[in-house]
Amino acid sequence: MSAETETTESGGTEIEVSPRADLISAFVWVAFGLAVAIASWRMDRLESQGATPYTAPGLVPGILGAIMVLLGIMLAVRAARAGGHRLGATPWLPSAGGRAAMARAGWVLVMGLLYAAGMVGHGGIPFWLATFIFVTLFILLFDLRARAAKDETVKGIVLAIAVGAGTAFLVSYVFQELFLVRLP
Amino acid sequence: MGLALMTTLTLKMQPAQALLVLICTYVGAIYGGSRSAILLNIPGTPASAASCLDGHALARQGQAGRAMGIATSGSVLGTLIGMFFLALFTPVLGELALKFGAYEFFWLTVFGVVISGTLTGNDPLKGWMAGFLGLFVAAIGQEGIYAFERFNFGNRDLAGGIALVPALVGAFGFAELLAVMKARRLPVKINPFDTVIPKLVDITRHWKTILRSGCIGTFIGIVPGVGEDIAAWSSYAAAKRASKEPEKFGKGSIDGLMAAETGDNACVPGAVIPVLTLAIPGSAPAAVLMAAMLIHGVQPGPMIMIQSPQFVYDVVAMMMFATIGILFYGLTLTKLMTRVLQVPQTVMVPIILVLCTVGSFAIAGRLFDVWVMLGFGILGFILKQLNYPMAPLVLGIVLGDLMEKSLRRGLVLSDGSLAPFFTRPISLVIWVIIALIIALRFDAVRALPRRLVAALAR
Repeated sequence: MSAETETTESGGTEIEVSPRADLISAFVWVAFGLAVAIASWRMDRLESQGATPYTAPGLVPGILGAIMVLLGIMLAVRAARAGGHRLGATPWLPSAGGRAAMARAGWVLVMGLLYAAGMVGHGGIPFWLATFIFVTLFILLFDLRARAAKDETVKGIVLAIAVGAGTAFLVSYVFQELFLVRLP
Repeated sequence: MGLALMTTLTLKMQPAQALLVLICTYVGAIYGGSRSAILLNIPGTPASAASCLDGHALARQGQAGRAMGIATSGSVLGTLIGMFFLALFTPVLGELALKFGAYEFFWLTVFGVVISGTLTGNDPLKGWMAGFLGLFVAAIGQEGIYAFERFNFGNRDLAGGIALVPALVGAFGFAELLAVMKARRLPVKINPFDTVIPKLVDITRHWKTILRSGCIGTFIGIVPGVGEDIAAWSSYAAAKRASKEPEKFGKGSIDGLMAAETGDNACVPGAVIPVLTLAIPGSAPAAVLMAAMLIHGVQPGPMIMIQSPQFVYDVVAMMMFATIGILFYGLTLTKLMTRVLQVPQTVMVPIILVLCTVGSFAIAGRLFDVWVMLGFGILGFILKQLNYPMAPLVLGIVLGDLMEKSLRRGLVLSDGSLAPFFTRPISLVIWVIIALIIALRFDAVRALPRRLVAALAR
């Protein structure tokens, strides 16, 4: 289990969120809810097609936008009461460990975007090659430093290439030949 | 996550085959989560969190094999009890569902989102926000009456709406991968264990717990939007209250582990009951299952008992296969399966990411769905970091369409009057429950009875 989550008897995992983070997210909710509500209000009500106010396309999103504004305000009030408005109460930058953790998630995201959208989508590279490059690079990026520390660099590289090649072959084969799915 | 991914893998199969695979995945995942809970103290799915307490305590005492045997027997018996109620209640509830009109369906969808927001996670306010966001997501694209395009900003793909499965794969799959890599688990050491074959005495001595947890689990499954994790915790709490040795709970109580495992697996057939009869999922994975049924041309809902009553019993039979599956694999393959736990995350994550991408693309063969998957992954990750639960969001996305249709249809039928929404008997019951659920989250309301009693005493 990670350092910041713990299993509680009330059910589920609990993550510590600072009141300031709640306050900021509450503002985002209010802004988003307002945008939705205003866009719904200005939406064509299709009266020319005989729509009544209660069949207007903007009715439901408008109500949902208003509810999100209301809930956002409730969250803002709660967060402010808990001290979220005091800007210096908690450090803005996460600890070194927290930064490293966020950086890892960030790298996964970048790799995922490059693979899914860049290579598979528009790159003109065949699917199997894109998958091979992605899986191999991913394992090298996240695994090699730890392997190097244990003097297992070569083993790490071989593993990365083997898993990359295996995944590329298996996924291409299974999807195309067994599931009959067209690949990107 | 497994279920969402399997949905994309089973697209081209025959509907019956695909649903059998998916139901086995669903039952198997809820059961399989107990393995890592017992051996590593990490719940494989949220449903197994309650099993960590006593399961891992037993493992630390050198009884991991016995704990897994109890988990297997509890899960098998729980699924059987749930299955019994699935076969028994679905026709009855289906009959009742025929009395439901637009007004009742509207309140039921709201009820699902509100109760899921209240009970999953630990912050009801954030749960409701996630739920209403989900309902809004469902409103993107062409609406049902005039095919008017909403919130698509001129984008053709977006005009078709956000497809369910890529959004689910993103919210459950990609978001989870980001969270897993952020938390980074170190290579694990697994407690050694002996035989995993359950002792008969462990089952017979706890028959009351099994029956009680089976009923609680099934009931919680039926309630729209409340899933396996709540079923496990409720069964656990009930077993603790009824136990003669409550002090043993959390320290390796057989009763506690049996309750949690029976409860969460009984919830699976339970959660399928409202899917079949009302087209309203009883839990987040059941929502994914319902999305898969729709893809395969099965239209769940009140008409199912009239149009294809056989299908309900097909589902019961599929559950039976799944139960046999977990019994067989649970007893024979545990040693092999625990090896999977030792595969480093850095190897698992890119492979699963490839599957998420290919799976999302495979549904309609368009790149837009891959973007949807990535977008919902990022959204889900951010929301998770801020302690917003995923289940209400997913439920909102699944129920949004029915909610909107029911509201507008109801308003047209009543010529704009809100009265039928509040006065029809079934509607009345549902909206009063919703109001109570929301009101009871406020301290002022909870303190009201005490103040009234105090005032009367004076």
